[in-house]
Amino acid sequence: MTQQVDRVSTSKPLWARYSWIGWVIVVGIAVAFPFVVDRPRFWLPNIGVRSLWLGIIAMSLVFLNRYVGLLSLAQATIAGISAYGVGYAMVTMGLGFFVAVATGIVAGTVAGFLVALIAARTKAIYFLMITLALGQVFYSYASQAIEVTNARRGLAPIKKPDLGFVNLNDITTFYFFVLALAVLCYLLCRYVAATSFGLALQGIRDSPERMAALGYRVNRYRIGAITFAAFIASIGGVVLVLDRAQVDPDVVSLGSTLDILVVAVIGGIGSLGGVFLGALVLTFLDNFAQDFTDRYQSLTGVVFIIVLLFAPAGIAGIGKQVKRVIDRRRKELSFFSVGDPQQEPPAAQSAEEAITKGKQQ
Amino acid sequence: MKLRNKKGWVPAVAVGTTLILALSGCSAGTSGGTSGGGKDTIKIGVLATSEGNLAFGMDEAKAAIGVAMQAIGGTIDGGEINGKKIELVYAGTDGTSGTAQTQVKKLVENDGVDIVFGPVSGDEGEAVVQYALTVPEVTFVNGSASPVAMTLQGATNFFRFHGDSAMWMGGLGEYAYKTKGYKKIYSIAEDYSFPYDNAGGFFSGYCAAGGQVTGNSWVPVGTTDYGTIISQIPAGTDAVYVGLGGADAASFLSQAVTAGIKLPLVGGSIAVDTTALSGDANIKAVAVGTITGGPVPGVGYKNPMWQPFVDAYVKQPKAFPSPSIFSILYYNSFESLILGLQQAKGDLSNKQSALRDALGGLSWDSPTGRISMDSNRQAIVDNFLIEVQAAADGSLEQKTVSEATAVKQGTTVYDRFEGCPKS
Repeated sequence: MTQQVDRVSTSKPLWARYSWIGWVIVVGIAVAFPFVVDRPRFWLPNIGVRSLWLGIIAMSLVFLNRYVGLLSLAQATIAGISAYGVGYAMVTMGLGFFVAVATGIVAGTVAGFLVALIAARTKAIYFLMITLALGQVFYSYASQAIEVTNARRGLAPIKKPDLGFVNLNDITTFYFFVLALAVLCYLLCRYVAATSFGLALQGIRDSPERMAALGYRVNRYRIGAITFAAFIASIGGVVLVLDRAQVDPDVVSLGSTLDILVVAVIGGIGSLGGVFLGALVLTFLDNFAQDFTDRYQSLTGVVFIIVLLFAPAGIAGIGKQVKRVIDRRRKELSFFSVGDPQQEPPAAQSAEEAITKGKQQ
Repeated sequence: MKLRNKKGWVPAVAVGTTLILALSGCSAGTSGGTSGGGKDTIKIGVLATSEGNLAFGMDEAKAAIGVAMQAIGGTIDGGEINGKKIELVYAGTDGTSGTAQTQVKKLVENDGVDIVFGPVSGDEGEAVVQYALTVPEVTFVNGSASPVAMTLQGATNFFRFHGDSAMWMGGLGEYAYKTKGYKKIYSIAEDYSFPYDNAGGFFSGYCAAGGQVTGNSWVPVGTTDYGTIISQIPAGTDAVYVGLGGADAASFLSQAVTAGIKLPLVGGSIAVDTTALSGDANIKAVAVGTITGGPVPGVGYKNPMWQPFVDAYVKQPKAFPSPSIFSILYYNSFESLILGLQQAKGDLSNKQSALRDALGGLSWDSPTGRISMDSNRQAIVDNFLIEVQAAADGSLEQKTVSEATAVKQGTTVYDRFEGCPKS
């Protein structure tokens, strides 16, 4: 396995070796964003902050799909549980900001662990259905548990604090706070994926039977991964509740679950960073689709279908898609010019292709 | 096995950035200018449902606004008041709090509206009030959202020109006890905030009049089996309160027929609407005689303002055959806003104080009775007590049997309760 990692790293194409330039551009655009938009009070909360928390939650879904091969529809619910944790601590118990945030993250992560205990033994469509069902169970609970969630009225107001050295009520400060969290979450996901734990997860994704034969406890690894993804989703839930200043059953509804799935698919179901592009597309559609049609949700659906048809790996996968087309053209040209009938053996199916084509274990 | 560690990022970033810039280009054309008090244009942002269960809300809102604007020579897109140009901007929602938050922020921060008008649903209303607290420079006039708590949040820039869902039952409790003689009532209601307020409004009046509650069943929305609950109704109960809506109410009425229930019914404000009454031809046996309360008058309502409103409403594009609860509440609210703007002579200077003073002191005769305002910027309104009757053609109709005038808002936000509600 180590040999393979080495081989991959040394055989990187030129553009891949300089991909950090792309990241500098992305982060540069994100940092400059508050200073170039004409109405920061609209653009920062409605587009910037919302895209970031949607992206963080969707990143947790992508982490599970990319490294474990599990498509979870419980991530919005876990983020919602974290949001309810913050709301309950702040509104019902009157606790301070840091305690409330810790409560939310612990609540969401524990909820993820419990989901994992139930769902980790299943795979593919069964895992998807169980996570969806658990999400709907919590939605029903949140809609009616008046003592805990205040039923449909929800918990409000949840105020952002002025910490003295930093005032999160200032929208620009809050935006940078959330941007920093998003970057940290991304780096954490990449770090975990590169650890021996992450490598084992990738092995389990590709062949759980082989990994079990090697002595790995597959279900424990899956539970660990689902719990870690829940931790990431919980951070997204904390940002969500601070942005919305309230939490109600809407945040754990089927619509919210589908929003996360749409973000992940449009951005790239196999791309940790691509989710933020997907989130940007969704927030733009939410805000501006009505300028083109009254049935704005239908337009979102059309965009979703177009992405699935023409860019199944999402926006983040367009680059690879274009590269594949160019490579194919080059091969065809060289075939006709050289006339060498010898063909290369077909390349092994990439994990991304395996995922997008449904090879879940 | 292939381990994942790198992606084709450079082309992806290029494509993504291009997409964002393209979308930004699209959006820039939609940005409205801010129109402060000294300007000649007053921009009103209308929030209504155009997707989801209440997708017809936008059409109903436009029909109601059309009636009010045409009366002053305008259209649903705008007009003129005291020399000031009125411009209307519409934002559709799906009835959820999240979408309402997104769209109301867009109206205020991107489109630069001076006044927000709406929303439709209670979930949206709670979210919009929270937002109103953060933008005191903008005036908010509610559309049809009816949670009690909305005008009790201390938002001095928020006005509601119709009753809340507890007020909709105003006078019905006393009517049930004294006129109908129902001494003991069993309650079946859906388990969420609207039925809490609605049932709370009824039972607070009923218990104050001397009535007793023999039991409460709070059922989840979407319950289809009411046989078990019906069998639990204690002997000696005089009537059953049905705080259900839509398909749930239709299911209950149908099963009440099957179970041979003989007790008269008291309906919540949405229990005996068209959906429920047209659900099953056999429900006449239990539906006839059902009393309910609400802001919509039934057959036999005498008010000289009513028929002209109905006539003007049915001429609007996409209007229903008769006004729905949404168009009535949106009309009364928008007409109130127009009257307020006229009284303030379109002056939005000094933090819109002239407009807010005018709105807060408004008193006028609407198609559904006199509307005046209390100190919480909540309307004091007339309420209608309705009884379901069999029409001459055999169909079921709702007849106005009584009116409760000048119903005021209480200060109780109701939660789920057992027996009589705590006030």
